[in-house]
Amino acid sequence: MKARTGYSTSLKQEFLKKWIKGIRIYSNFKKDMNILERKKAIKLSADLAIASTRNASTRWSRTLTANISKNETNKIFVEQIFSDSEVIKKEAPSRLMARSNRIASKKIWRRSHITQIKARKMGPYAVKARSIAKKLVKNRTKVLKSLVPGGENMDGISLIKETLDYIVSLRVQVDVMRRLASAAENSTRSL
Amino acid sequence: MDVLERQWMNMKWQQSATHLNEDYRLSMFSIPSIQDQQFQGLVESDQGIVELVAQAKKPDLVMENGRNNFCRAENSLNYDSCVYWNGSEFEMNYAIPTTASCPPEVAVANKVKEAALPEKLGSAARRESFKKRKSYKARELKVVAEEQNREKKAKGRVEEEDSKITKQNSNSKRTTTTSNNNKETSADNSKGNSKLSESPKPDYIHVRARRGQATDSHSLAERVRREKISERMKYLQGLVPGCNKITGKARMLDEIINYVQSLQRQVEFLSMKLAAINPSLAFDIENFMVEEMFLASTSSIPTAGVSFDVINPSHIQFNSLQQGVSCYGLEMDVNPPDIMLRRTISSPVLMPEILLESSYLNASISTFSSSGFTEAGNVELEK
Repeated sequence: MKARTGYSTSLKQEFLKKWIKGIRIYSNFKKDMNILERKKAIKLSADLAIASTRNASTRWSRTLTANISKNETNKIFVEQIFSDSEVIKKEAPSRLMARSNRIASKKIWRRSHITQIKARKMGPYAVKARSIAKKLVKNRTKVLKSLVPGGENMDGISLIKETLDYIVSLRVQVDVMRRLASAAENSTRSL
Repeated sequence: MDVLERQWMNMKWQQSATHLNEDYRLSMFSIPSIQDQQFQGLVESDQGIVELVAQAKKPDLVMENGRNNFCRAENSLNYDSCVYWNGSEFEMNYAIPTTASCPPEVAVANKVKEAALPEKLGSAARRESFKKRKSYKARELKVVAEEQNREKKAKGRVEEEDSKITKQNSNSKRTTTTSNNNKETSADNSKGNSKLSESPKPDYIHVRARRGQATDSHSLAERVRREKISERMKYLQGLVPGCNKITGKARMLDEIINYVQSLQRQVEFLSMKLAAINPSLAFDIENFMVEEMFLASTSSIPTAGVSFDVINPSHIQFNSLQQGVSCYGLEMDVNPPDIMLRRTISSPVLMPEILLESSYLNASISTFSSSGFTEAGNVELEK
């Protein structure tokens, strides 16, 4: 238990340091921002910080960094923060799409063939129930893929793994932000 | 309860969004105090993960019984499409113990172990692959052995009875068995070839065909895939709060989606709040305090010790005339186990406000002695 909390604490500290660093760079970069710009700066630095804690080992962190770097102004910002080679360019999606299309067409044929066989074996109603269940799962997987950054081209197994990692990182992010927010709130309240 | 919480949060968040153009400061301050509790309820502590570890450790002992039960259950099922979750209980038993020990590590997302995790899974897959290889070979050997036995019997019969029919029978049997053999080997080869073409490394995934199950190579591969998915869903169950009772992929995915969405919305909301609070984005002092707080929270629970750690940074802050921020260093809005912590720490929170009025050192000594932190009081005196 102690080791676990120790690890998460170090993760939180790392995230916090990078986040504050990013915010400082941003505020030096651009003075006198209005509230929306400030919010954007905070969120950007938070996202970058939490993505960099993974050191580009997970798909979502790479995608997140790449998405942020797409914007030109942000790119300079990103490169300033992370002078070391953590920012990795996203893979060319075309190659992946081609491969997945080929595999998908094979799977479609196979699936239709299997449903024919099962329909003969099991009777029509069971097949329908099964297909409905599959459709539900498929729809939800689609939604999940849209939520997790970089989840579009992943198959079910790695998608769940990425989701796990992403959830943990999001929790760290929320936790640290919440504490900082309450600290700031208390400081301004007592002043 | 979870649905209600979520709806409540959504409502509040929308409210906060609409109130933004008005006096946003007030609305922001009112919300979080309530929302903290909500968040605590939502953002579970590590209890779920502890449970998952306990669950993961159990199957190792029950493996044999579980396996038998599963075999019996399989016989009663005609197909295994809807057994995603019924099978998963036993699939845990089937899983190699090393993978069973993986969930807590994944849930914790330990950096060092995470790098090793894909390796571990890979090695588990390799071990599974060896098993499958052996199962194929075992089946082949069995067939060959049967074949040889039949040949011997046939020979014996021929010697005894000298009947051509039996010889023919044995021959036909042999041919059928050999044809079966060929089919299996061809299936094996095709499977092996397909695997080789898919992955350059020879890590086959080997699955033993269970009783009453199709031994088709495709269905075996599908079963492996399903098992992997259900295994990972189990990890997610431990991570997402309130998912212990839910069985079934669709509902689990639903919960996961909701959770991820709520976390993302929280990030948005908190970043907006931070932007609202700090007009200048000056986070230096809070940074220092938060770091101290993190360091303090890692120490063990003996209250005197913790209060000692916590009060020290507050003194540093007093010297630098940052009164209000020290409140934060003493404030611990952490997990339920820290309730005792909170009680002991809550009393010093009153201190800084008193210190604002009077001179620092004297007042702090008096309040320290009154609140009963003698250790801290000694430290103060030494200072």
